[in-house]
Amino acid sequence: MSEDNKTPSVILENVSKWYGQVMGINDISLAIDGGVTGILGPNGAGKSTLFKLLMGRLKPSQGSVKLFGIDPWSDTSPYRRIGYVSESERLYDWMTAQDFVSTLARLHGMTREEANARAEHVLDFVGLHDVRHKEIGKYSKGMRQRVKIAHALVHDPDLIILDEPLHGCDPIARTSIMNVIRELGSQGKTVLVSSHILEEIERITEQIVILHNGRLLALGNLYAIRDLLDKHPHRIMITTDEPRKLASAFISEEPVYGVRFPEEGKLEIQTNDLSAAHSVLPRVIVNSKVSVSRIDNPDDNLESLLGYLIGGT
Amino acid sequence: MDDQGRKLSETVWTQLDRKAGAITELTIRQLRNRISTWVVLGVGVLLISLLLAFYIDSIRANFEPIDNDGDSEDWDNDGYPLGQEMIYGTSDYDTNNYPGSSEYVYLGDIDYNDQPRTHYGNHTWLYATGYFTPTWIDEEAESPFSYYNWIDWGGRGIDCPDGSPFDDWTYFQSPSYCALENGTYVVFGASFAGEGEISVEPGWSAEWGYMTESFFVEKHPKSMYIDEDPINGIDDDGDCLKDEYQTEDNSPNDSNRNGISCDVEWIYDQNGNLVSIRADNNVDEDPDDSEHIGESSHRTFIIGTGKIAFVMILGLFLPLFLALGLVRDESENGTLHYLLSKPIHRGEFILYRLLGYLGIVVSYTVMLILIVALITSLIGPGDSIVRLSDYPVWMGIALATILVLTAYGSIFNTVGLVMPKYGVYICILYGIWEFLMGLFTITIPNASITMLSVSHWAIQIIDAVVMISWSDTSLIQQKADAFGLETGISFFWHPPVHTLETGNPFVALIISVVIMLSISIGMIAIGQSIFRNKEIM
Repeated sequence: MSEDNKTPSVILENVSKWYGQVMGINDISLAIDGGVTGILGPNGAGKSTLFKLLMGRLKPSQGSVKLFGIDPWSDTSPYRRIGYVSESERLYDWMTAQDFVSTLARLHGMTREEANARAEHVLDFVGLHDVRHKEIGKYSKGMRQRVKIAHALVHDPDLIILDEPLHGCDPIARTSIMNVIRELGSQGKTVLVSSHILEEIERITEQIVILHNGRLLALGNLYAIRDLLDKHPHRIMITTDEPRKLASAFISEEPVYGVRFPEEGKLEIQTNDLSAAHSVLPRVIVNSKVSVSRIDNPDDNLESLLGYLIGGT
Repeated sequence: MDDQGRKLSETVWTQLDRKAGAITELTIRQLRNRISTWVVLGVGVLLISLLLAFYIDSIRANFEPIDNDGDSEDWDNDGYPLGQEMIYGTSDYDTNNYPGSSEYVYLGDIDYNDQPRTHYGNHTWLYATGYFTPTWIDEEAESPFSYYNWIDWGGRGIDCPDGSPFDDWTYFQSPSYCALENGTYVVFGASFAGEGEISVEPGWSAEWGYMTESFFVEKHPKSMYIDEDPINGIDDDGDCLKDEYQTEDNSPNDSNRNGISCDVEWIYDQNGNLVSIRADNNVDEDPDDSEHIGESSHRTFIIGTGKIAFVMILGLFLPLFLALGLVRDESENGTLHYLLSKPIHRGEFILYRLLGYLGIVVSYTVMLILIVALITSLIGPGDSIVRLSDYPVWMGIALATILVLTAYGSIFNTVGLVMPKYGVYICILYGIWEFLMGLFTITIPNASITMLSVSHWAIQIIDAVVMISWSDTSLIQQKADAFGLETGISFFWHPPVHTLETGNPFVALIISVVIMLSISIGMIAIGQSIFRNKEIM
């Protein structure tokens, strides 16, 4: 145990994984230990592949994967200390949550009684205590996600891996799951959460890993990356009846360095400082007395950020 | 105490045990929650119920005593059944000829060219053609044989027509005699009794003899001639030997040509095994059906049900529906992730899944077998209330079925793993192969190609167990073949083949069990190693 504590929970060394000709993960080296880490990347970036390598589902084509110093492909013993929430939506719908979680708990070698007690405890932790004797088939999407999380926590793991845990959840479920994840992080556990939505990760953790096309793009504190994002050229698209009148009002403002009329009834504002531009935006529109029907930020998403990061490096 | 208990509960073994218990239990609950499981199990129950209904029905119909040789019939309606007439050497097609009836005994005759052509005496005359001058005519006499042209003297006044007999008129229709004016009768192939002189017409003939005293013979009930000659090599009813009523025309019966009349010859090979039974006619010809056909049909039913219904049908269909998707379905549904993210080896996982599957199918099969065994042993033939000797055979059938379910289960599970999409077709093709090889094994168990199938070895187990617990099955077969009591036992059962020349059924039993276990273990090992190296998306 003491030896394990010195080595990081997760170590990847020059790991590549390809499926035939297709690259899933390309030469990733990574060490993660302690706290919540967001694995960020658009769909197809390799997040799930990375997790499946960690969970021993896939064998790395190159390099080595170590969990607590052990290769998970050949040895399942690290799973004693790991909880995994897969992206799969399917559950045993005919089971109750209590049944499901306690049955899986017994796979950790717990007795029936221990498993039942632990299941009740973790279901309480994820907020499903009152409905734990209902069949999973009758659960909402968010409750199903929480059952999956509960099963991953039942043996009090040191490392928790969550693949898109917020996917498809309503805002209330989202908030409650985020609270659970933050709570786990504050308990000192190592948590890996993947998502393709920047805002979700932003609300959970500062520590992120960005994957793109199977490569490790960025690694570190989210705010540093946020700054980069704000500094990169942004567009704000305004839909209005009088784009030229509004353009003349904007052109004198400091953060704006250019305007364009991409099509009839639209005004595109170009800026280097998105937040500053947004702060002047309401005042300018109100003063110009032009009616505006819609404001879009076409660049404020992960793809655009990644495009900028790739271009910048 | 507490310390010790804790240590005990934390050993590797108990942890393994808990994991095995959890997956086995999960698998059972999963299978129980699928409709297809219940459909398959229900169809199995239906099949066995149909077989049972058929058995109960046939036991009512078939086990009533049958008159196998037909000697309880009374064709001439004289009240004496054929069997009794055969013993007394009388005819069952002649009302006047019956046990105790007076019989005609031949004394002499005048043939068409004999000299002299006259004879005087008090006789019963048969088929006489010529002139009879009576001194006394026995008008009361009855014909010894109903089909002889017997004269009814009641109409004595018939006069002959004009002209010369045998020249102008050659025969009468009926009655076949007429009276001449001088009191002499002209007879044409007629039979009668009386004293007088016969003058036989040249070119014709006449015969005479006497009638024995008739005596009274009690009429036997027909039931005496049903099942009257049990299989024991002895002519119990005496219809072959005819010892007590031997008459001159009875030639000794030795149709098996061994020099002994009315016996049964049992032929053994040099190892002392019965090869064939050859019986003389009318020996052991009407055996006790409720004893032999009943027993033999009962065994045929059990052996046939065990081999075809349990081993070949349930043995194939249960794993096809329940084992093929044991691991494959989890993988396709995406629920495999929950199970594999636990500290459990994939090999173990396969093993526990199979254990769960076996938990369902084994308890199901054992239950079905118990029900069938109980019902058939209660209503089956025999004097005892419960046929205890059936139970070892049913246990053998259960063993064979369980081994078959294990072997097919591990094979189908592995195929489902390797070929998730087309595995089911491969398994159906393989199932057809197994079924055909099973049928082959039932009919020609020593055909070596059948050794390439699992069903062959399961059927060998049943054959061996039958030989062990019903050691006289071979004898029943021989008797059935020799005395025409075919009940299918010779089709459904053969002595086990793989005895390594010892003829010992235990050897065949052990060899078959070991081979089936090896097939199962081998297939599980192959499945484990494939699954261990399989990447799961």
